[in-house]
Amino acid sequence: MPLLKIDGKEIEIKSGTTVLQAAEANGIEIPYYCYHPALEIVGSCRMCLVQVEGMPKLQVSCNTFVSDVSSDRKVDGKYDMVVHTQNDLVVQERKNILEFLLLNHPLDCSVCDQAGECYLQDYSFKFGNAHSRFDENKRVRPNEFLGSQIVINHNRCIMCSQCVRFTQEISGTSELFVEARGYNSKIAVLEDNPLDNLLAGNVADICPVGALLSTDYIHKNRIWNLKKQPSVCQDCSVGCNVDVFSQTDQILRLTARENLDVNGYFMCDIGRYGFHRYEEIDRVLQPMVRKGDSFVSADWETAIQKTIDLIKKNKSNTAGIVSPFHTNESNFLLGQIFKDVLGSLPPITGEEITYPSGFRISADRSPNTRGMNDICEGIVEDLASKIKTQDIRTLFILDDGVDRKLDDKWKKIIGKMDSVIVLSYAMTDLAKLAHVVLPGHAPLEREGTITNDKGRIQWLRPSLPVKVESKPDWEILMLVRNALDKKTEHFVELGEVMKKMGEKFENYAGITFFKVGNQGYSINGKSS
Amino acid sequence: MKSNGKPKPRFTFEDPERVEQIFSQYPDKKSATLPLLHLAQSQEGYISNSVIDSIAELVDCHPAVVMDCVSFYTMFYTKPHGRNIIQICQTLSCSLNGADELVDHVTDKYKIKPGETTADDQFTLMKVECLGSCGTAPVVQMNKEYHESLTKQKFDELLAEFE
Repeated sequence: MPLLKIDGKEIEIKSGTTVLQAAEANGIEIPYYCYHPALEIVGSCRMCLVQVEGMPKLQVSCNTFVSDVSSDRKVDGKYDMVVHTQNDLVVQERKNILEFLLLNHPLDCSVCDQAGECYLQDYSFKFGNAHSRFDENKRVRPNEFLGSQIVINHNRCIMCSQCVRFTQEISGTSELFVEARGYNSKIAVLEDNPLDNLLAGNVADICPVGALLSTDYIHKNRIWNLKKQPSVCQDCSVGCNVDVFSQTDQILRLTARENLDVNGYFMCDIGRYGFHRYEEIDRVLQPMVRKGDSFVSADWETAIQKTIDLIKKNKSNTAGIVSPFHTNESNFLLGQIFKDVLGSLPPITGEEITYPSGFRISADRSPNTRGMNDICEGIVEDLASKIKTQDIRTLFILDDGVDRKLDDKWKKIIGKMDSVIVLSYAMTDLAKLAHVVLPGHAPLEREGTITNDKGRIQWLRPSLPVKVESKPDWEILMLVRNALDKKTEHFVELGEVMKKMGEKFENYAGITFFKVGNQGYSINGKSS
Repeated sequence: MKSNGKPKPRFTFEDPERVEQIFSQYPDKKSATLPLLHLAQSQEGYISNSVIDSIAELVDCHPAVVMDCVSFYTMFYTKPHGRNIIQICQTLSCSLNGADELVDHVTDKYKIKPGETTADDQFTLMKVECLGSCGTAPVVQMNKEYHESLTKQKFDELLAEFE
């Protein structure tokens, strides 16, 4: 393996790695704009220039590859390459490059959405000059819509072309291109082919400056006011890793989080803007008990007691309905309560899309079908006919929430029940048919694990505070379970449920939040 | 490109053999983009959207990639222009030797500013950067030919040939 010396540090690294990757892997910072690990290297921003001994000019480290050299050409008799990233020459060159990049940049950080997570801002502070020597007028261009969700501020653009390469290589749709050249160059779309694919939102994520903006977030807030919580997208069974940005009890945006085993660096717009559908809904914030045609709110004790009474009335004719939208822990607990008959409603599906880069949007639009099937033994295949043959009179339902549009067939079946208990966060069609509604958490408020379709267990973390009297779903189920059977153990936290789950199911043995971590844990024993 | 309801005019090369010959010169299709664009421009006079679409189809890439290429080179015209193109060099030697006066002369004579075309489609006036003939400034490129050391009088004679 080639031996490198970067800033005096000896690094042994695989042949074919770039100097930039070698430095990054060893904690040496080299600034860059146009490089992206998932995209083709172009070396156009010149920000990552370093000095390589023996080479006449500074080299772009993103496109300089490390390889073995013959023994007579080794520096100091042992190094294959000696690189300087901090010497005067490099430092001066960075200043010059930044001065060029800022020639036409408006420096409007105070009104720019990227401020706070802008590499132009960060590197200018770190490596740039405080003052510009440029006296002439800056080039000014109006903003343009590239697609329905993406707007471009041409003045801020530094022409790194990451967005263009993204549409060419990742989405394969190739809407974006660089129009004209030099001073006149700008990112453009053809008039009749706007940037409207389902991965379009990613270009706003990968833009290192504030040029590409998502209309969904533009001028909504400042990034430093937001709480950033790593979590998992729950809009299809792929389970893309995301960061959820929220302020108090409002989610403002979702961005993709790197996980090479699941989604790479990107996410789709279905997930990105999906959180809006939890915003204007009829939330259930208190336990509700039916009284005639309407509901009255009750306290938890009454609601749980009522639930127990309803279940006990028809003990042997009660079925539980688990949900692919809920966590493994909730489904597990429900499965433990209703061992006899356990089912689920028909799956919610959409179009399956696979992009040339391998990025996938699954046809199964529920996040945890795999986990639900893993963790619940004996889910009946045809629940509707099972209800008939077993003469089921009581249903305990984990509600799928706003995504579940109840068809007439199921409305009829549920309407015929003696009693229906629904655990839901919203007054859905299903909850409206219930006799008791227990207020649980909405998807981005939940904590627990879900398993994606490739068998990777991932950690859902709550991104929003608990609302009014709602309780975590697993806690509600535990209360029901304990009230039904006084002898069962009492879980005080989610970890204990996971432990119990692991005792029952081999695949889930030893799973803890620590083990799952930010990158998930594959039950196949290898990365999926 | 997606057509918004109405069918677009399709562009076809008049000389399919020439197209085949261009393709045979390159190991991969995409390399033929530039020569095909030249061929199309010599046929159509400019690169229209339908030219971009059909070349994209021929070289097997997206229209945006062809447009990227077209817009990079200043000698591809994306708008229709006159039958004759007057390109007047604007760089140092020519400027010092009266290139601006030649521009004004055309503007006065045909009432067209740089970038514009006469009403009868006879001339299009363009200012261009260095034509590489500084020793014989000022230089005007008339269509594909250079005319050097021009004076107003010589320029008038030249223009008369094309009127």
